[in-house]
Amino acid sequence: MFHVLVVEDDENIREELALLLRNHGYQVSVCGESDRVVRRVQTDAPHLILLDINLPGGEDGFHLCSQIRGFTKIPIIFVTSRNTDMDELNSITLGGDDFIAKPYNTSILLARVASLLKRAYPETETEGITHKGVSLHTAAGKLEYEGKSEELTKNEMKILHYLFVNKGKIVSRGDIIEYLWDNEMYVDDNTLSVNITRIRAKLEHLGVSGFIVTKRGRGYLI
Amino acid sequence: MKWSSFLKDRMMVIILQVFCVLALCGYLALLGNSAGEVLLVALLWVLVLAGYLCKTFWDRKRYFDRLLSTARSLEQKYLITEVMEKPVHAEDQQYYQLLKLANKSMMETITSIRHERREYKEYVEQWVHEIKTPIAAIQLTCENNKTDVTRRILSELEKTDNYVEQALFYARSENVENDYLIKRISLKDVVHGSIVHNKRLMIQNGVSLRLEDLDFHVLADSKWVEFILNQLLVNAVKYRREQGPAVTITANREQDRVNLTVEDNGIGIRESDLPRVFEKGFTGQNGRNGERSTGIGLYLCKRLCDKLGLQIEAVSQPAVFTRFVITFPAA
Repeated sequence: MFHVLVVEDDENIREELALLLRNHGYQVSVCGESDRVVRRVQTDAPHLILLDINLPGGEDGFHLCSQIRGFTKIPIIFVTSRNTDMDELNSITLGGDDFIAKPYNTSILLARVASLLKRAYPETETEGITHKGVSLHTAAGKLEYEGKSEELTKNEMKILHYLFVNKGKIVSRGDIIEYLWDNEMYVDDNTLSVNITRIRAKLEHLGVSGFIVTKRGRGYLI
Repeated sequence: MKWSSFLKDRMMVIILQVFCVLALCGYLALLGNSAGEVLLVALLWVLVLAGYLCKTFWDRKRYFDRLLSTARSLEQKYLITEVMEKPVHAEDQQYYQLLKLANKSMMETITSIRHERREYKEYVEQWVHEIKTPIAAIQLTCENNKTDVTRRILSELEKTDNYVEQALFYARSENVENDYLIKRISLKDVVHGSIVHNKRLMIQNGVSLRLEDLDFHVLADSKWVEFILNQLLVNAVKYRREQGPAVTITANREQDRVNLTVEDNGIGIRESDLPRVFEKGFTGQNGRNGERSTGIGLYLCKRLCDKLGLQIEAVSQPAVFTRFVITFPAA
């Protein structure tokens, strides 16, 4: 499990970010005071740092970043409300790996975190997600069940991925559409229905039935 | 300077001189001088007077012409007192002093207004950055607790963020300094960024979106272009049609330029309103028909495009479509 350190002075944002990351399967530690950050990085040894640029108490995120870069190469993502070109430039020159402006789009934030982790720790690539014996292989774009497999289109892949990540929870159609739009697939309501039908057909073909449950008026559940 | 006005100014002197010539001639005649001698004296007097007037006129005319042409060649006309030679004539010197005095007070006023404006701009920028923190906090809280209520809050939050961005870019656009960085950007990424920014607004209003051929790179500032696209998308949703609203975003290359087209099938803009849509505060018929309109969004689009050296054009047919075309230099 990847460990993410969240450095943010605003308590609400800090806690909500931590909750968001925990909900998506990360181990999270938080830090609100700039003078403790470097020590926390040394003791906790996180895999990735989300670093706010504006921190009270003298040392801003840029300063901290260059200090951290003095002893480790772990990925650092700057998060900031000062969305200026200067900040973006500074964050890159001082050794930051990415730059996200507030208010963050959470799916973009999660995508950036995931892709940076994948790039920094390629050996720990996950072998797909499994639920009730059905496994989803994102890299290969395949769905597997008891040795049989079905090819998935890009849309079907993303829809299933979202359902798998939120397994056990009711996912509304609106949420799925938003998630698809975040991934540059601008589907509308009808297209989503068509895709769900196709996915169900493919699941039937594999011999799984009732995998995706429709909750009338609320969404889908696996 | 004209002869007539020059002579009019010296009317009293001329009348006095004429009166004196006549008096002298009368006196000389009374003393028993011949008519020829009297006329000669009178002629001489008049010649000297005319010569003096001509010389003065040409001198003054040359002086003022030179001053005027210097002033015209200056970009900031009010700086004339800084570059003009100090006048010789006592009267001119008085006016010169007066001009200097007036200019000095104006310069002070301008400087203090500039200063105030910069401070205000800095305040707006800072305020925008401060407000982003609570907006981000509300957004994260809602995302972590998804219900129908929080979804509605998120959608309103998207609008709030758009208005906040508008204030930021308004402050930036008024500024003489340039806050942008022109570099090679991917049109596809910018368009995607803008769509994601407004996704809830579009999804909740059932707008279907079609993207075509956006694999171009252009020279511009990505944040500014994203802001411009945000305004266009918000408008496309705001002035949508009831049944099957759709937005199409396409691009094409024409020699060294790339045209980005954002087209909707909405209620359109009346022909009489079309030439004025980019004016500040112009709301037109659509603004009066229900939807709230500030007349700021498109005005800012135009201003930012001008600053970035981009062209923006609007074409529309009421009840059929509205099309905005932005022309970029290709990279």
